[in-house]
Formats: sequence, structure tokens, C-alpha cells
Amino acid sequence: MSLYRTLRNLQKEGLKTWWRQLQYIGDAKSGTFVGADQFGNRYYENRNGEEEVPGRHRWVDYAQHEYNATQVPPEWHSWIHHIRTDPPAADPIIQNLTPPWQAPYVENLTGTRGAYKSYNTAKPKISAWEPKVASRS
Amino acid sequence: MAEIEELQREGFRGPSDIDFKNGPSALDKAVHLFFFTEIIRGMWIVLEQFFRPPYTIMYPFEKGPLSPRFRGEHALRRYPSGEERCIACKLCEAICPAQAITIESEARQDGSRKTTKYDIDMTKCIYCGFCQEACPVDAIVETQNQEFSTETREELLYNKEKLLANGDRAEAEIAANLHADHVYR
Repeated sequence: MSLYRTLRNLQKEGLKTWWRQLQYIGDAKSGTFVGADQFGNRYYENRNGEEEVPGRHRWVDYAQHEYNATQVPPEWHSWIHHIRTDPPAADPIIQNLTPPWQAPYVENLTGTRGAYKSYNTAKPKISAWEPKVASRS
Repeated sequence: MAEIEELQREGFRGPSDIDFKNGPSALDKAVHLFFFTEIIRGMWIVLEQFFRPPYTIMYPFEKGPLSPRFRGEHALRRYPSGEERCIACKLCEAICPAQAITIESEARQDGSRKTTKYDIDMTKCIYCGFCQEACPVDAIVETQNQEFSTETREELLYNKEKLLANGDRAEAEIAANLHADHVYR
């Protein structure tokens, strides 16, 4: 970790943000706040190549302590993966292509009670024979 | 004969151009050896790295770049009206080299043919992207989601409901990626 960079970002971001970053990201970063998603995750960017290593210039501050990469919703996912240049709110293509029936996003729930469990969507093709004993007269 | 002499020459590069008589003296070499100068130079490089900003991408806070053509988790898409796109032509099932897709279809009450079963075994899938290339209606796509790891194997046996749910959640991202790529198709 670069000492100068850490001290500079401490001076820029303030002690509280700096401490939170060291607890979660593990590195002191400074940048501009780009937006927050519906879950409260906050997204930051620093496109100054002198201050931030290119490729590390976009990052997320997760709202939950038990953070998880899948807590990023798809629109922000494409921003943080550098697929799209603009954040979703400022991206006309994302805005126009969002259908009214878009379902609310849920994170990967594996290992919890909400985990996806596979099931058959078609009628079974074989039916078991159920023996019936005719009553003896 | 000249060829044989060429082969018999000392070393495969021939005699060296370097005149070792002009090199460092034995005293110089002994000084470097006994004062560990090479080790100290190596440690200095390590110390320099300590004061440089780290290059490591701190996943999951920062993520690496992905292409709009990235092939990740599958999804079934819908038309903007909300009608599901898949027409059960089974081209994806036919082209799938891993034979991971299973489709059964039936005619719906309005006469349109729709799938009753669209299963993808994600443990078989090799993520080649042939299914999305084969699809005539852009119904089956591979989204940019790569974070669908599960704790059990059963959770990776996707059925139609799961694939449609993936598409319903990520429709904006999928459509934007297809839009970004449409000029190259």
C-alpha cells in the first residue's frame, strides 16, 4: 500500500470514510460519488489517472456488512464492469430499454432458505401403476 | 565441407564478440559478492513497490472489465409487451455441443407454440454461446452475470422459470448489451 496515496486520500476523504474503506475495501480511495442503487450501495469513480490506477477507477461501497458481489443490480453491474460508460441514471439506452415489467433484483441466495431449487415444469410422461384390489364377493 | 565446418563450429552461435578482458576486474566482482550488492538492489526494488499504488483489483468492490459479448449465466428474454420470446424451435437444443439443453413444447390455447420445459444443465454447459447465436428470436442469451456460483449441484439445474426470472431481472442490461453489439452483427 502506498503511504503517500493513503495519507493523501485520508486528507481528501476525511477520517470516517477512510476508516470505513480500510475496514471494507482494504485500501484508501478517493473519488466522486456517482450514484446509489435501490439497495443503498454507493458507487464512486475517479477517472484521474494520476490519482487512481486505471482499471481500479470504479468501485462500490456495499450497504450491507455481509457484502457480496451479487448485491450489485444488473444496471450498475454493467457500469462497474466497465461495460457501459455512463451510470444507469445518465444512460439513455439503459433508460429506454428498461421494460415496465422488469422484476426486482435479488442477489444470489445460494446457501440460504431462498436458494433456487430445481423442479420440473412439464407433466411427467410416465404415471405409476396403482394397484387396486377388487373386493372378493 | 563448408557446411560440416559450420556445424563443427564452437557453440551454435559461433565465437563470442565480447572481449572478456575489458570486463570488471576480479576485485570488482569480489566486492559485489562480499557486500551483497545484488541482494540489496533486489531488496530496494521490493521497497520501491511498497510505496507504489497497488495494482490489485479489490474484488468485489472493484471489478475487472467485461465485454458486452461476455458469455455468462443464461437468461430467457421477453418481448417489450411481456410475451416470452422463445418459440420452441429447438435450434439451441440441436446446436448445443454439450447437449445441456432440454426442451419440450406444446401449443398454447391461442395457438402459439411455447415451451413447457426449457432446462439447461449449467454443469454441462461449456458457455460457447452457440445457443444465443442459433436463436432466431434472441430469446436465449448469455448475460454478463458471472457470479452465479452455488453451494449445491442441484441449484445449477436451471428450469424455464429460473431462466425467465434471470431475464426479467436483467432485461435492461441484456438489451443494452445487444444494442451495443448490433452494429457488428
